[in-house]
Amino acid sequence: MSLFHFKRPGARKDHKESALDISRKYSLTQGRSYVIEESPPDISFDAFANIINTTDDKGAKNVGLCITRQHPDLVRQKYGLENTPIYWLATKTGQDIISPTNLGILTHTIISFVQDHQNGVVLLDGLEYLVSNNDFNKVLRVIDQVNDHISQSTSRMILPVDPRAFEPKEVALLERNMEKVQLSKA
Amino acid sequence: MTKILVVDDSEAFRKVMIELLVRAGFHDVAEAKDFDEALDRFRQDRPRFTFVDMILPGKSGVDLTKALIAIDPNATIIAMSSIINKTMIRQSLDAGAKDFLLKPTNTIALSSVLAMWSD
Repeated sequence: MSLFHFKRPGARKDHKESALDISRKYSLTQGRSYVIEESPPDISFDAFANIINTTDDKGAKNVGLCITRQHPDLVRQKYGLENTPIYWLATKTGQDIISPTNLGILTHTIISFVQDHQNGVVLLDGLEYLVSNNDFNKVLRVIDQVNDHISQSTSRMILPVDPRAFEPKEVALLERNMEKVQLSKA
Repeated sequence: MTKILVVDDSEAFRKVMIELLVRAGFHDVAEAKDFDEALDRFRQDRPRFTFVDMILPGKSGVDLTKALIAIDPNATIIAMSSIINKTMIRQSLDAGAKDFLLKPTNTIALSSVLAMWSD
């Protein structure tokens, strides 16, 4: 019996986006998680949107799961996401909203997606918000648990982090089992 | 030396984009703020790459792409925008743009586009 009674993302609907005939600019390895140190999370969203709006070199599409502090309507509009499941981290109640204090639902949502989809891409935006609503170690355990599932799957995860919001030791703990990405932007 | 033209009505964006291009090893970069200026610079320089913001004052980036392709059908035009509007991106591609970059861009995306469309 499931501990949670809510819709599993991607269980019934095809969440793939209509592909654009543009190049794939980011190559994220299956089974890896990537920490991108930035604020705002422009590169993370660009990578996520580029991967799920294009096809890979074999012509295959990727399906995405976005969990974000930003309002889903704005994310859909800005990044051209029509079918991708987007969950809003917020203290409201409603469909497709995850409370920042309900780390169990958050973990379950990501792990279910990873189990249900081949070649998925998970964007988890809002780590600072999660930490401001929970003990850092609790959030770290969630990230580690999710990362363990990612590492045994064909999916990958993107985790934008604002290093100004964390102690250096906390950033190091977040990054210990992940690839770190630091970039310039225009 | 590879010539590049950056067309965007935001001076701040043009400056940072040029800085990224210079850092990537492209030092011959010109800029234009609108349709007319872009057309003049393009005729004069015949750049290898032209980055065109899809939203320009007056005539659009799609209009500019069509005009540039009319001058040089082999031009490599990269459309840019701060949102992914699939209809507009497809219009740009139909007009002759080769690729699309989301603004703000970064070293990975920019290097990927330049590598993809270099000979």
